[in-house]
Amino acid sequence: MNRRSIGVLVLSLLFVFCGKAEAQKFVFTPQWTAQAQFAGYYVALEKGFYREAGIEVEIVHPTLTQSALNHIRSGESQATTLQLCEAMVIIDSGVPLVNILQTSMNNAMVIVSRKDESPIRQKGIRVGTWSAGFDQMAVCLSSIEGLDYKWIPIRSGINLFLSGAIDATLTMSYNELYQLMEAGVSITENNIYRLADSYNVQEDGVYMTRDYYERHQDQAERFAQASRRGWEWAAEHPEETLDIVMDYVQKNHIATNRVLQKLMLEEILRQQVDRDSGQREFRLRPDMVEMANDMMLRNQLILRKITYDELIDRQTR
Amino acid sequence: MKRLLFLIRRSMPAKLTLWIALLSSLVLLASLGFMFSQSKKSVRQEALNRAEQVLDNTVQRVTNVLDRVEVATDNMDWLPVRHLKTPDSMFVYSRRILENNPELNGCSISFEPYYFPGKGKYFSAYSLNQDGEILTEQEGGPHYEYFTFDWYQMAKLLDEPCWTEPYFDFNPDGFYSQEMIASYCKPLKDAQGRYIGTISVDLPLGWLSETIAAVKPYPNSYSIMIGRGGTFFVHPDSTKLFYQTIFTETLEREDPDRTALGKAMQAGEEGMKQMVIDGQNCYVFYKPLGTTNWSMGLVCPERDILSGYKRLQQAVLIIVVLGLLLMLDLISRVIRNELEPLSELNRQAKTIAAGHFQEELVDEGRIDEIGQLNRSFAGMQHSLINYIDELKQTTAQKASIEHELKVASDIQMAMVPRKFPAFPERNDIDLFAAMVPAKEVGGDLYDYFILDEQLYFCIGDVSGKGIPASLLMAVTRNLFRIIAQQGHTPESIAMQINSVLSRDNEQGMFVTMFIGQIDLKDGVLRYCNCGHNPPVIVRKDGKAEFIPVKYTNRPLGVWEEGGFQGETLGCIRGELLLCYTDGLNEAENMKQELLGNDTVIRLMTECARMSAEEVIRKLELEVERHRAGAIPNDDLTLLCLRLRKA
Repeated sequence: MNRRSIGVLVLSLLFVFCGKAEAQKFVFTPQWTAQAQFAGYYVALEKGFYREAGIEVEIVHPTLTQSALNHIRSGESQATTLQLCEAMVIIDSGVPLVNILQTSMNNAMVIVSRKDESPIRQKGIRVGTWSAGFDQMAVCLSSIEGLDYKWIPIRSGINLFLSGAIDATLTMSYNELYQLMEAGVSITENNIYRLADSYNVQEDGVYMTRDYYERHQDQAERFAQASRRGWEWAAEHPEETLDIVMDYVQKNHIATNRVLQKLMLEEILRQQVDRDSGQREFRLRPDMVEMANDMMLRNQLILRKITYDELIDRQTR
Repeated sequence: MKRLLFLIRRSMPAKLTLWIALLSSLVLLASLGFMFSQSKKSVRQEALNRAEQVLDNTVQRVTNVLDRVEVATDNMDWLPVRHLKTPDSMFVYSRRILENNPELNGCSISFEPYYFPGKGKYFSAYSLNQDGEILTEQEGGPHYEYFTFDWYQMAKLLDEPCWTEPYFDFNPDGFYSQEMIASYCKPLKDAQGRYIGTISVDLPLGWLSETIAAVKPYPNSYSIMIGRGGTFFVHPDSTKLFYQTIFTETLEREDPDRTALGKAMQAGEEGMKQMVIDGQNCYVFYKPLGTTNWSMGLVCPERDILSGYKRLQQAVLIIVVLGLLLMLDLISRVIRNELEPLSELNRQAKTIAAGHFQEELVDEGRIDEIGQLNRSFAGMQHSLINYIDELKQTTAQKASIEHELKVASDIQMAMVPRKFPAFPERNDIDLFAAMVPAKEVGGDLYDYFILDEQLYFCIGDVSGKGIPASLLMAVTRNLFRIIAQQGHTPESIAMQINSVLSRDNEQGMFVTMFIGQIDLKDGVLRYCNCGHNPPVIVRKDGKAEFIPVKYTNRPLGVWEEGGFQGETLGCIRGELLLCYTDGLNEAENMKQELLGNDTVIRLMTECARMSAEEVIRKLELEVERHRAGAIPNDDLTLLCLRLRKA
């Protein structure tokens, strides 16, 4: 079963369970384990923003061996975070999703090479990627730039990179990049390539199935607004936010530390600022949706164009 | 403090004690400093060697176990490759490896997806030693895609045996080790040399953590172990275990020492670095653990390493301080005892100094410097007694002589007229004179009298000083009065006096003399200057000058032959005449500068309107002022007169 078919299955199950969740708790599942990447949602919950919005939210994290989609498949989640490209692939596979909140305004993916040479000058090298996904933009880049990368799916961590088993690896600027630095890897402008410099397609947003959204539009709006409020509060109170993040990290026994989470929070908040406006806009940009469509269609990661209106449900809003 | 310093300054034993103590302390401290410095180096080196030895031993123990795991795997990996046609035999082999190697707790023989057509995508024969019971299963599945795990891919991609980082395994659909493990992995290849899968054995690391953590050569030392990513797998601070790397703190603030240590350990280097950790100066020894790419470090705080040395240093310092104090006390006692005779001598000296010259000195029979001093002092005492006796006699004699001199002085002074005004019955003569001998008796003389309206006067200076001069002065003065009263002219008087003085003048003494005669009727001055200072005359217009001396006759008493010539100045009525001896113009100050003739002229110019007495007093004052405390170098005699209109 390939990744796309898994996505279809999982989102189908999400769709099914969402129908039953109306009178139940609103379960929100971030796409990764507890970390500062999801600080705004922790803040919204801990500071009572969701409660004030009239929603009983519970945050359930995936584990290393059970992805967010698997959690959703178990029927407990009504919303999840997804990267834009991932969401488009899932929609293309036949699972209608609606973006109810866009947090990322920039692409955070960075390719890091072991050699002191830009990874996009090295053809045919072995590049580590996440076995859980998130790699659509890098796949497109490899194809467009004619790099012919050999993708090595990695469960988690940076050990394959450190051991020399792979030549380069995909990282998120807020996560694995700092992990590499924390492992003593020298990061210079020579051995990294930031996709945002040429292919700036925004990433994290909150999605729910179109069906659930259409039946709970008001709830979705309130969840989105409370989540946005959580992020804005986090930007204004980074130290308190970090305390909240560390609580979640410790409860979930995540092998990380405050220093890394602080760096991650700072970077995540930076990625939420639109490069053009300099504002934290919380919106999908049509031009970036267009760019993602263009790249993925060319590389056949999607078979049809996923429109901006379709993503934000222009018809019903 | 001042009091203490005072007491020390006035006590020789205290000073000697302090000096000896000070010098001894300096020598001792310099020696101790050198000894401490050398000892510290030796102790540190010894401790470093010990720590290094401990590290080596521990690494060797760990490496031995790791080597056994590698050898066990190497000895078995040919079996799966030989039996690829019977996939299920892999379960037997994975189990057998665990049976043969009880220190291992897991073994998987895993193959590439779809390698065995009949086994589907996943085929991983996995055995787990769970408390002595060996469980075996096929562990691959959608929730455990083993071929994406590090332990599988690392061997595949590196194409050589390797150790994974320590990790916690988790398989939601099967059994797995509950403790931290590390896997030794080897790529499996078919007969054509193509990669077909990975054989992996799992070593539980609880023993390794305990073995490394137990290494504690010093009370506050501790051990660490990091993986190839710098992650702490052994560290006394459990909050750092698995969650932090050796570089974590450097992300927030630069720490070149820590970074260098981390890089060196990652690079598999062996060595020692000195650095500050948590505010303490530490030595960190590090060494790689076999072929794992892990590294063990031994952190030894310097204060621990040197604690024994510090204790020894403190003990030695205490002993030295106490020893110095004891030495100070002993030296003080010895010196005080040795110098006690000096105190006694001092007391006796004070007694003697108080006038008790017969105080008996105790001779203890010592032959050292103090004994010699005692005897010298006794000799000095004897000499002193004799000297005092002689002094008493001399003093008595001197007192007698002084008394006689006083009488002589009185007699001498009585020989010159001292009653003023000199001629109270006359108001046309203002005359005043004074004589101040440099010693008790002097050699100067003056005299005056009126005979038949002729005022005779003289002033003279006998060669030499003291009694001989005073005797000649008395003779000369008498001669002058006797001869002058016969109405002679000044030159005749001079000649007669010279005649007397020259006879039998074996001593060669002589007298300079100025002899004057003023006719009180017309005021004309006649005079004869016998080698004396020319008198000063202040004219009516206030101008002072030495009177002209055409004939400077020889002093009286030099030789008899030859005459004396007199001179006439003319009427000096209304003018001021000053006769003086060289005690005036040759008066010396401390620098032996003379008052000088010019000064005399200037002073006399200032005295133009003064009376004779005022002139004398002023000149005496000026001489005294010029001397400025200097002892008079010559007799001073002044005679001043002015004729007024009758």
